[in-house]
Amino acid sequence: MSVVALRLAGPMQSWGVGSRFVRRTTETAPTKSGVIGLLAAALGIRRTDPLEDLLHLRLGVRIDQPGELMRDFQTAQRPRYDRAGTVTWQSLPLSARYYLADAVFLAVVEGDRSIVEGLDAALRGPEFPLYLGRRSCPPAGPLALGVSDVSLDEALVTWPWLASTRVQKQRRDRVVQLATVRDAGPGEVATESIRDTPVSFDPNRRQYAWRSIVRATVDVTNPHGTAEPLPEHDPMSLLGGEACS
Amino acid sequence: MHRTLIDIHILQTVPPSNLNRDDTGSPKTATYGGVRRARVSSQAWKRATRVAFRDHLDSSELGVRTKRIVELLASEITTRAPELEERAGQLAAETFRAVGIEVKAPKKTGKDKTAAEEAGYLVFLSTRQIQNLADAAIQAAGADDVAKALKAAKVKDLADRDHSVDVALFGRMVADQSDMNVDAAAQVAHALSVHAVETEFDYFTAVDDRNTEDETGAGMIGTVEFNSSTLYRYATVDANRLLDNLGDLDATRRAVDAFVEAFVRSMPTGKQNTFANRTLPEAVVVQVRDRQPINLVGAFENPVRELEKGGRIKAAAEALRDEAREIASSYAEEPVAAWVTRVGADTAALDDLGTKVALPELVTELGALVAARLTEPS
Repeated sequence: MSVVALRLAGPMQSWGVGSRFVRRTTETAPTKSGVIGLLAAALGIRRTDPLEDLLHLRLGVRIDQPGELMRDFQTAQRPRYDRAGTVTWQSLPLSARYYLADAVFLAVVEGDRSIVEGLDAALRGPEFPLYLGRRSCPPAGPLALGVSDVSLDEALVTWPWLASTRVQKQRRDRVVQLATVRDAGPGEVATESIRDTPVSFDPNRRQYAWRSIVRATVDVTNPHGTAEPLPEHDPMSLLGGEACS
Repeated sequence: MHRTLIDIHILQTVPPSNLNRDDTGSPKTATYGGVRRARVSSQAWKRATRVAFRDHLDSSELGVRTKRIVELLASEITTRAPELEERAGQLAAETFRAVGIEVKAPKKTGKDKTAAEEAGYLVFLSTRQIQNLADAAIQAAGADDVAKALKAAKVKDLADRDHSVDVALFGRMVADQSDMNVDAAAQVAHALSVHAVETEFDYFTAVDDRNTEDETGAGMIGTVEFNSSTLYRYATVDANRLLDNLGDLDATRRAVDAFVEAFVRSMPTGKQNTFANRTLPEAVVVQVRDRQPINLVGAFENPVRELEKGGRIKAAAEALRDEAREIASSYAEEPVAAWVTRVGADTAALDDLGTKVALPELVTELGALVAARLTEPS
């Protein structure tokens, strides 16, 4: 198996799962529908086209810089033309859109080498404009980090930490722990299920399937770290016996 | 055909202002690089851009966004075929049914019970689409089965081509017929300040002109929130998608011209009368790329600090130049062409990125390049 790695970074991103109507929320990490949608756009697959090969890809995301939740308040108005020719402006429902500000993610997509190479090339010369979950959130800097012949899990551990130098300097430890969210392997016990596997992006019948995910952490070297990590804090050890996990 | 992507980068200083505010009246902000920045949302600047189109384009190239589509089409039918005046409303309603857009009598808002049917939502139609539909309706009017004749005239296709410039750039949603949606060819990022910003409060008192003796206090007091910032604004236009949406090379070129002009010169109107914050950008950098659009906002992830000499616009211009160069060399992403329009000595660093020209020349040269690339075989 091979993987293509993506750097998802920008001032704002938004990865919704179940939002409807005027309250548009975001998850804390990129969703599978968001990343597959981005890859499909790069390949030039239209919304009504079948997703085919993309449905079998595995996704893993590492939260390199979590950023912060931001709410954007949005108003809209529409003109109403009277018969007399006067125009009055009517307010449409107020809406709240949520974004992740200042976040950086590593997204790793696993599949057959030929497919993964095609994705990497497409990300470098995308057919449709790409964005991080919402059209007003273009990525900062190029997205594609390249293809490597490792497994999804290995890639999540071995890719260098993508957080900004400022964040790396703030965390003084030589080794930092980063949260990951990835597809559960066959037979693996999932942490939870979320409904973000795209089946069809056709606007007439959008369809998403449930996805079993595993939330875990990985240890990554901090190039700007100076302090050795402290031994894990386990107050229960005073009582003897085995540590809880 | 070559891929042609137009990246527009703008540095623009606005004095104390509140261009775009949230539900509490504070100017919008966002955290980036760990510090709070001033922000103007993309939707606010897109609207300002769309409004400014009226100065650059003929109304025939723009669209109308309305629920009252039956009335609109009926009046076009009547203009073209006055003898059909009696039937125009009914013909128009039939036409939209054939297109697949449901039209119903509006909820009674007054005594006017003869009001034309309306769509249940706002429909964005270009002037050309209305004209084409009117022609089809007039043709079909003579047939025995009008509905069948309209279907045969492929009215749905007529409503789905010859899009207006604003629809082609910013997209369209049609609730009943989502295959008639148009995907936007332009992307606009939220504008962010290149430096850290704190929101300030202006405490004000207002004096009652007719109350000179009894009370010596203020007639009212209040606060207005504002900030002043140097913004980085970014937008990108995918010229190939724009051509797909418009279906016409000339129209594509005009749309690119209008977008660049309008995006550069426009300003959201929030609190404009309070702050008179109309400025023009200090610097505009336009890069044409053939692989992917690239947002250079990373230049400002480390917030710019004011320099002893030159202030923050000088530091911002240098940061933008450095980021553009770094990306070009690290990722082998050299733009195909680039132009710079700028004012003042502080922005001189940007001359390294492209040919320095005035905005009108920039627009002309960009338009010529886009037209050439869209017609050349690749």
